[in-house]
Amino acid sequence: MLAVRDLSFSYTRGGEELFDGLTHQFTPGKVTAVTGPSGRGKSTLLYVLGLMLSPSQGEVTMSGESVSTISDAARSRLRAAEIGFVFQDAALDATRVILDSVIEPALYAGWSRREARSRGRALLEQMGVAARADHKPGEISGGQAQRVAVCRALVTDPSVILADEPTGNLDRDNAEGVLAALTQATSHGRDDGGGRTVVIATHDPFVLEHADEVLAL
Amino acid sequence: MRFLVLLREALSTTWANKVPTALVALLVAIMCATTLATVGRTAAAEQQVAERLDAAGSRLLVVTDTRGGDLITPAVVTQTRGLSVTERAVGVQIPVDVTNKAIGAGGTRVPAWTVDGDLSEVLTLTAGRWPHPGEALVSTTGQESLGMDDPVGAVQLASSTQVGDYSVVGAFTPKEPFGAYEAGLVIAAEPGVPSDSLYVVVSESGVASAAQSAVLGLVAPPEFDSISVQSPVALAELQAEVAGDLGTFGRTLLLGVLGAGALLVAIVVLADVLVRRKDLGRRRALGATRGMILALVIARTLLPALLGGALGIGVGLWLASRFDALPPWQFSLGTATLAVLAAVASAILPALYAATRDPVRVLRTP
Repeated sequence: MLAVRDLSFSYTRGGEELFDGLTHQFTPGKVTAVTGPSGRGKSTLLYVLGLMLSPSQGEVTMSGESVSTISDAARSRLRAAEIGFVFQDAALDATRVILDSVIEPALYAGWSRREARSRGRALLEQMGVAARADHKPGEISGGQAQRVAVCRALVTDPSVILADEPTGNLDRDNAEGVLAALTQATSHGRDDGGGRTVVIATHDPFVLEHADEVLAL
Repeated sequence: MRFLVLLREALSTTWANKVPTALVALLVAIMCATTLATVGRTAAAEQQVAERLDAAGSRLLVVTDTRGGDLITPAVVTQTRGLSVTERAVGVQIPVDVTNKAIGAGGTRVPAWTVDGDLSEVLTLTAGRWPHPGEALVSTTGQESLGMDDPVGAVQLASSTQVGDYSVVGAFTPKEPFGAYEAGLVIAAEPGVPSDSLYVVVSESGVASAAQSAVLGLVAPPEFDSISVQSPVALAELQAEVAGDLGTFGRTLLLGVLGAGALLVAIVVLADVLVRRKDLGRRRALGATRGMILALVIARTLLPALLGGALGIGVGLWLASRFDALPPWQFSLGTATLAVLAAVASAILPALYAATRDPVRVLRTP
């Protein structure tokens, strides 16, 4: 289970503190939408939860263990294996084909290329973009790119998915498709049968409306 | 990340980013080619200078018994040959003129040197057999001058006061620095007969001074003017100076070429890292460790550097061959290895820069 306790963060020493001692448990199997006015730290909270930023106070815990103070290498390994990221602009590698983009975290997690590709193809099939597996990102639509990004986030079967404004650049139809994919990720659960935590930073009313829980900053 | 997967990632990135790849390969190729065409040529020039000074006598010490005092005995020759600083040593008597015995006293006079010691250190036998004491070998020029059809026969002293015959049992070509013997014959000395001069070829010019002291100690002249010495020390010092100057010049040139090349490679790699900061930030966000980023950037430099090294060696050897100064293969291989290592070393700082960037800052920068 992903949780934060007494969390504060500042980009500079002595600078403005975000989150003001936030304590919260994110429910596995649910979509939690993090919302709030611009500048309140929605994306920053995702980066703290994703172990890319260290809190200035408090801690992030996964399965009851504090993970915000472990080494950079350990955090990277945890990120590769247990945390999936979906960025606002999909952030696919323009020089490689879709399937290779999808399997990237699995390679960092130490998977063999063969097992990663097998898993990647299955996810692309599941998201309805398997036909584009051998295309470059420039050859697919924004909605398809974001669904590919969801596949990439799921490839290592992580327990946590963090999505930063995943529908921000999409029209309504594509936003629905991406949100459905994220919701499906929680309801289908993990390979081990446990629920998957999905946290979405957003100010999109459509996402807020369909989220299971809303955390307002 | 597994090693083979990392290598594949590096290959894939190398292929995808063709401009920096081509630049790194080109720079390493230029480093190699320039080194081979300049430093390699300097090394070849150093070798040529050393050979010419050798031929001029930078390793030849000649001690002559000026009073005929029996100073240069066969024992002294043998002891001199046994010195650690000596490559070759023979005793030589003052040359005498001989004529073809078949023609008689009216024949053409040619010089003959009586040599005490191992004749194979003075000449190469080209026909016939090695002579016993009192027998002779004749050179091609000597054979022609004497009017001998084959290097077999006999010669006699041309002197009106001395009588002596020598059987000719074969032919020879002289070794340096005994090239003068090409003019005539070499006679194997009779046992126990002292020589007039002691010819010593020292093992290297750097030990000429020590060798001279040791040899003079063995000859042990009773007075200073009882011998004359043709010393190689001055030439040896000149050779050492020239070799030192050329070596310093070569090393400076090598460091200059490698340093400048490495700096340019570092700039290319740093520019590449800056251009690809989003890509590297994404990799970090998706779970790549700092070590993986470091390894990726370095491998991504190593691969085109290897290609450039091979290309540079090819071009460099072609250029060197045009100057007729082909360096040995060890030098070429060493140059390529140094150039590749310099390129990889220059990639370390940009790679560290890439690995330690804050991925959040990179991802959020437009």
